[in-house]
Amino acid sequence: MSGEVSKLIRESRIIVCCGAGGVGKTTTSGAIAIAGARMGRRVLVLTIDPSKRLAEALGVERNPPAPVTLPADRLQAVGIQAPGTLDAWMLDPKLIADQEVRAIVKNPEDIEKLLSNRIYKHVTTMVAGMHEYTAMQALHRFVLSGRYDLVVLDTPPSRHALDFLEAPSRLSRFLDGRVFKMFMPAETTGGLRRAAGSLVSRVLGGVLGEQFAGDLSVFFGVFAGVLGTLNRDVSGMRDFLSKPDVAFLLVTSPAPAALEEALFFQRKTDELKLPFRGFVLNRSHAYDYGRKFPETALLIGHSIARTTAEKLQNLAESEKDLIGRDQELVKDLARRAGVGGFATALPVLLPNETEMRKLETLADQFKGA
Amino acid sequence: MLEQFEGLIKKRIVLITGKGGVGRSSVTAAIAMAAARAGKRVLVAEIGDGRDNEQRIHDYSPLARLFGLDHLPENKAEIMPGVWGSMLLPLKGHELFLASVFRVGALAKAALHSEALRRLFQAAPSLREVGIFYCLLTYLRQKHTDGTPSNELIIVDMPATGHTLALTGLPKILLSMVSRGPIADALREGQSYLNDPDQASAYVVTLPETLPVSETIELLEGLKNTNMPVGGVILNHVAQDPFTTEERLRLEKVFASHRAQGTPLLGEESFHYFEEARRESERLAREISVPLLRLPDAPPGCESLVSFLADSLLSSAAVRAGAPQ
Ligand SMILES: Nc1ncnc2c1ncn2[C@@H]1O[C@H](COP(=O)(O)OP(=O)(O)OP(=O)(O)O)[C@@H](O)[C@H]1O
Ligand SMILES: Nc1ncnc2c1ncn2[C@@H]1O[C@H](COP(=O)(O)OP(=O)(O)OP(=O)(O)O)[C@@H](O)[C@H]1O
Ligand SMILES: [Mg+2]
Ligand SMILES: [Mg+2]
Repeated sequence: MSGEVSKLIRESRIIVCCGAGGVGKTTTSGAIAIAGARMGRRVLVLTIDPSKRLAEALGVERNPPAPVTLPADRLQAVGIQAPGTLDAWMLDPKLIADQEVRAIVKNPEDIEKLLSNRIYKHVTTMVAGMHEYTAMQALHRFVLSGRYDLVVLDTPPSRHALDFLEAPSRLSRFLDGRVFKMFMPAETTGGLRRAAGSLVSRVLGGVLGEQFAGDLSVFFGVFAGVLGTLNRDVSGMRDFLSKPDVAFLLVTSPAPAALEEALFFQRKTDELKLPFRGFVLNRSHAYDYGRKFPETALLIGHSIARTTAEKLQNLAESEKDLIGRDQELVKDLARRAGVGGFATALPVLLPNETEMRKLETLADQFKGA
Repeated sequence: MLEQFEGLIKKRIVLITGKGGVGRSSVTAAIAMAAARAGKRVLVAEIGDGRDNEQRIHDYSPLARLFGLDHLPENKAEIMPGVWGSMLLPLKGHELFLASVFRVGALAKAALHSEALRRLFQAAPSLREVGIFYCLLTYLRQKHTDGTPSNELIIVDMPATGHTLALTGLPKILLSMVSRGPIADALREGQSYLNDPDQASAYVVTLPETLPVSETIELLEGLKNTNMPVGGVILNHVAQDPFTTEERLRLEKVFASHRAQGTPLLGEESFHYFEEARRESERLAREISVPLLRLPDAPPGCESLVSFLADSLLSSAAVRAGAPQ
């Protein structure tokens, strides 16, 4: 299984890192991006990391309006030589949504109406799937721009890895035409709909209050214009992501719940015909680094008391078990990844390392893998 | 009984939150068991997707499993002596809400049968949270004929961090958009419970490790911004360091010399883990201004984690034993 990961990083055009909350998606994306740039590729890493850890590690300011190119001295410090470059962008979903609206809606008055609508202002944070949608939108744009050889997409924090895959269908549910029609002006709809419309307005007026119902009407009314384009985009996005030079990686930790989810995710990518390529077992103990068992004779030689030695040996035993467990896990994941898929392990690093050191160490790990 | 636990069971509603896998569900079940043993009528709840659920990874709820069930009941039912359970279903919340607004019934019925409205309620911004919120409010309101609350203590196993803030922050955001009408009234009534530190508290479950501790400190800040009172932090998995200071000093030297020779030893990683755990639990204690409850790591082969943790909550001695020296 050696060489598959570096080949993937060398040849893919898009790598999407998915995974459950906190498993290391952002860290893995950063490490892959560094590894790719070290191979001489022009790399962009798109991340959504609310705590801005990656941004800080890379020395990139928060929420810039466009990708930031790392300066030459920073690149050199992490072993990136020309022609390799590394750009990073923290996605700001609101910013991207606004750009989309401006691009799609023709009438300037409508643009202003929508952008200042109270519901719209919260929509990127409150509508399920909006975060993911804007991330895909940005991905699409930068891949088409031709400025990069490789775009690495870090997916937004979510409880489940699946949320990213399901985002388009959730968003479509929200954008469901039937919901929108309820808010269309009455003269454009037939009698039946008008009846439904009045039920809707009575219910909404009664429940939400007139003011909010009014906001909703404006929101859906103007947004209906955006709807067609968005829906087309959402389905187009799936085709775009089904290409062979796209790789979906699933980052997981050795925790049983994370693993269970990882396998479910893999099945789901199959169903959706998305190019699943492999598992990254992060925070693993799969490397033994040549550590030896602390034998009694050795410890006594260091004048360690027998009782102390026993306590240490208990700990050493469980570590040995952990190493064995994770090595088996990688093998098992590699088997499950099937033909053309792989599994690779990343070691758990010391918590007091700086984020940049962590990224570099993990990027090193991809060299031979 | 642990002093901090006495504070907890005086509340009407307790939200258990924290990052994934730290033990929220186990702690929720343990609190329920301990509170029931202390004589409370407890309701355990978690957020469910409910009937129109697209099946997810788990076809069972890990929390329900701790009570020997696959799922918590849709309608409140006793799941252990003194403990009732219920899922909080957005759709059910919507139904309850519509029924309360349109007492006449005809309009509520029509509304519930309108496919378009149903979809809107599922899809529109925050209406899902409104449904969950309304379920909770209904349970808070329920009273016996003598006027005492039916659900003396409601414990909610909250989803991970982001969703918790979405729920606790809901009234503030929504009220900025909807200032009048039945939803606004319900939100204000909910706020009168949730923002009252005598009645409601969030508890953050965490582990004695760098990242979880940092995230806990951030989350406390986030909760404060949504006006949710915080009852305390529950430090779970507190492990006993087997080594004395003397032993630590000696072993440190052995590890250092082996590392220098390029022959590192197994056991060193765990040795350092205890150090990290102590450092992080001290940092947590230093940086938070709310009570800290410590729950020990269950010993290997422990038969029932929930009753082990419940015992710890009820007897302060067991917990002290797990605290760092
Ligand atoms: N192999 C590792 N060893 C040690 N620490 C790690 C490792 N991988 C990631 N971390 C640390 O764990 C934390 C969480 O990682 P990261 O932010 O990459 O996760 P994530 O999956 O992107 O989280 P979220 O779901 O919140 O976006 C970071 O502080 C990171 O430094
Ligand atoms: N104090 C403890 N001692 C030993 N094991 C524990 C302890 N607390 C929790 N666990 C174990 O840790 C695992 C995770 O616990 P639990 O399911 O309660 O966490 P959670 O925070 O609810 O997770 P999730 O994010 O998946 O909902 C379980 O296997 C549980 O048995
Ligand atoms: Mg992240
Ligand atoms: Mg749980």
